[in-house]
Amino acid sequence: MRVISDADLRGLAADLLAAGSTVWGPARVPGSPRPGVEYRPLREAAELDLGAGLPFLPLKQVFLPPTEPLFWWERKGTEVRLVPPAPPNRRVVVIGARPCDAAGADAMDRVMGWDYRDELWFARRDAATVVTVACERPADEACFCSDVGLGPSHPRGSDLLLIPHPGGYAVEEVTAKGRELVAAFPHRFREDEQVTPGETAAAGPPRIDLAGVQRWLADHFEDETWNEVALRCHGCGACASVCPACHCFDIVDEPDSLLAGTRRRNWDSCQTSRFTVHASGHNPREGQHARVRQRVVHKFQVFPRRFGRLLCTGCGRCTRACPAGQDLFEILTLVSERALETS
Amino acid sequence: MSLYQPHLMTIEAIQDETPDTRTLRLTFRDPALADSFSFKAGQFGEYSVFGAGECTFCIASPPTRRGYIECSFKAVGKVTRALRELEVGEIVGFRGPYGNAFPVDDWSGRRVLFVAGGIGLAPVRCVLWNVLDLRDRFDEVTLVYGARTVADLVYKRELAEWRDRPDVRLVTTVDPGGEEPGWDGEVGFVPAVLERAAPTGENAVAVVCGPPIMIKHTLPVLGRLGFPPDRIFTTLENRMKCGVGKCGRCNVGPVYVCKDGPVFTAAELAALPAEY
Amino acid sequence: MRELRELAVRLLETSDVQVVIGWEESRRGVRPAFAQTPAEAERLVFDQRCVHNLAAYLHPRRKHIRGLGRPAVVVKGCDARAVAGLIRDNQLRREDVVLIGVRCPGVWAENKAEGQPGNRRWAERCVSCPQRTPTLCDYLIGEDSPEPSGGPGLEAQVERIQALPMAERWAFWSSAFERCVRCYACREICPLCFCERCLADKSMPQWIESSPHRRGNLAWHLARALHLAGRCVGCGECERACPAGIPLSILNARLQQSVRERFEFVVSDDPVAPSPIGEFRVDDGQEFIR
Repeated sequence: MRVISDADLRGLAADLLAAGSTVWGPARVPGSPRPGVEYRPLREAAELDLGAGLPFLPLKQVFLPPTEPLFWWERKGTEVRLVPPAPPNRRVVVIGARPCDAAGADAMDRVMGWDYRDELWFARRDAATVVTVACERPADEACFCSDVGLGPSHPRGSDLLLIPHPGGYAVEEVTAKGRELVAAFPHRFREDEQVTPGETAAAGPPRIDLAGVQRWLADHFEDETWNEVALRCHGCGACASVCPACHCFDIVDEPDSLLAGTRRRNWDSCQTSRFTVHASGHNPREGQHARVRQRVVHKFQVFPRRFGRLLCTGCGRCTRACPAGQDLFEILTLVSERALETS
Repeated sequence: MSLYQPHLMTIEAIQDETPDTRTLRLTFRDPALADSFSFKAGQFGEYSVFGAGECTFCIASPPTRRGYIECSFKAVGKVTRALRELEVGEIVGFRGPYGNAFPVDDWSGRRVLFVAGGIGLAPVRCVLWNVLDLRDRFDEVTLVYGARTVADLVYKRELAEWRDRPDVRLVTTVDPGGEEPGWDGEVGFVPAVLERAAPTGENAVAVVCGPPIMIKHTLPVLGRLGFPPDRIFTTLENRMKCGVGKCGRCNVGPVYVCKDGPVFTAAELAALPAEY
Repeated sequence: MRELRELAVRLLETSDVQVVIGWEESRRGVRPAFAQTPAEAERLVFDQRCVHNLAAYLHPRRKHIRGLGRPAVVVKGCDARAVAGLIRDNQLRREDVVLIGVRCPGVWAENKAEGQPGNRRWAERCVSCPQRTPTLCDYLIGEDSPEPSGGPGLEAQVERIQALPMAERWAFWSSAFERCVRCYACREICPLCFCERCLADKSMPQWIESSPHRRGNLAWHLARALHLAGRCVGCGECERACPAGIPLSILNARLQQSVRERFEFVVSDDPVAPSPIGEFRVDDGQEFIR
């Protein structure tokens, strides 16, 4: 099996940086009160920190930045000129993505590509190679990837999947892009017959009945459950900010002057009341219970029915980020139990 | 060109419908696009004022009139207020047409009833002209239209035109207290006036657009007149940003209003969560 | 714990209280709980993991909580200051809430104490807390405990940043604000951010750009901090809620220092103490106001 050592993985990051690529990977954040790592564009390979567990924020910022220009406009007399953003001209390599993040981007591909194709998203997706490191164990009890059809070494959304073994990683080439990366830096990889694939934490048996959850969600739009679980919710939307699959966005204009400005798209969240409110003041999704319900039903019933993927990869980030102790896995467990009672 | 980059259009004409409602006639800057552009009645677009942003309206002119599109709006928010500041000759942006449409082709040989309230006449006007421009294909055409006051009635010149046509039955009404000297229309709320006008639901379809409260009270009346829910059409007006099924804002239960709508039958609405 | 549960049960059974807002055990530490029956009240807990400021559930934007009926709320010292702020700013009437004060031992930095007990660290705000035991309360339970000490306090953090040369201080805050994604979790969880429509959500005119870029983020964070000057109770909830890990408490604490120096005002749990922005004085020291 092809393998790469710890040192060579860091070396690969250095090679890529030297070749002018943008390299993202987990790294410490100076000045943050929170310990741990975040996905960051690396200035040097030494910043890469693969031993500090799951980044608190998801990988989606690489493909859907929190804010991005859609175009610039300028006015000359009565004429208006629109200038689109330049397509990404550098290769982007993510080193040390986690399987839940790679799978999140794959889920978002579905909505970004159905019927109308979001070229800004796909330009970034196409320019990027995702090198994922399988998890050796769950980051903590918030993790539930194995319960949503994925797992600690699931290859979905990855180009290369690295499975840790002592001193390095076994390399699984998942896509052509992954193979190209290996071919471009052959000196960083070697063959080791001692190492066999599949040596990672096995995905545990699922603890929730997803089919039951989907069935229950489909016909319990009005249900006391939503009032119960929404009580503690502040509607702060932190869950959406840290979700690797939440894709909702806003579009805004920002003038620099009367004669020029930028139209941008920015992350947005369905958990806030302002998301759906009309100019008239009418809000079709009034009440926090309705917004919590939207999040759960959309991710586990509406999206999968339309796009064939759950809009949740079980990363547990929303649970970790929630300042009020909301726990998505607990809600799913509750729904799963209620589905059993009603079936 | 990205999905989010609008076409440029020139404001050809401005018509003030009421003190706060205005119609713009827009033409494409790009002559090739002006020739090739087509749409279906009921579809909508994202209209830009550069520097203020985008807002969503239906295309209010009929697809049977080529070379321009029209939109009608009330200045209530940031973008619509900015749009109202613009003058003839100035440039706006347009993305579209988006969404589904009224299945006008399926209505051949049927009676068509239009029920509208306030600025809800804008989407109705599009499909009404579409029907009138192909008048021979349809049976009786009726429009029941109401507004709060006489001053709030939009498309007044067209209302006069429709009144004078022998092949259109027009019933106009204003809310009690909204009448003024010389008003010869009805006085009363749209659902009650519709019930009195009593157009038959037999071999007929209905298009209903207006404030949610009007739609809510009109649907039962249509039921009593014999319109089955799958032959009553309306449009939803959830907030949208992208218009192309990406931004998530207009999602209601299983549907994306921008992709699966904005046109829905009363039967489809009944199956949706009431988040509109 | 017994004392808390007995009181909660008694309030639900014998007085005009429909919900007791406190904390409960969950699989990931403690979290806010809403006990509406005596049986549910038996689940309430209080200990050093109870970091949340439950006063946030009392402000008028929490319509789903107001709908439950008259609440009793468990308050630590900092939480009581927030309740006082709501009363002072006319967002809550004193008689509409029953306050169960707890003699606060100080809380940990997180709602779950991870790892070994030795790894537990005090929340920065608890080291040199101005008032752990609330005076604004209807009941007072729990026992006195020694003052939290050890570990870096918030004041020390503020001093550390203040001591930096201007350029480095600017770099510190610029890099912190650059991480903001404008989710407004800081605002939504703040017990004193009760505006029905926040300045940041207004678009006519657009006072603050909503995009998470340098300019918009700087404008947002300065506006947020300034609007809380003389009102922030130092509960640290904004920082705890921030998914981007922005050290908002330091900024808040610095502003409260300014308010103390310029206006001789310290945020307390006295709900009738006039606040710097809520009061007009003819002998105000500032020229512009006369």
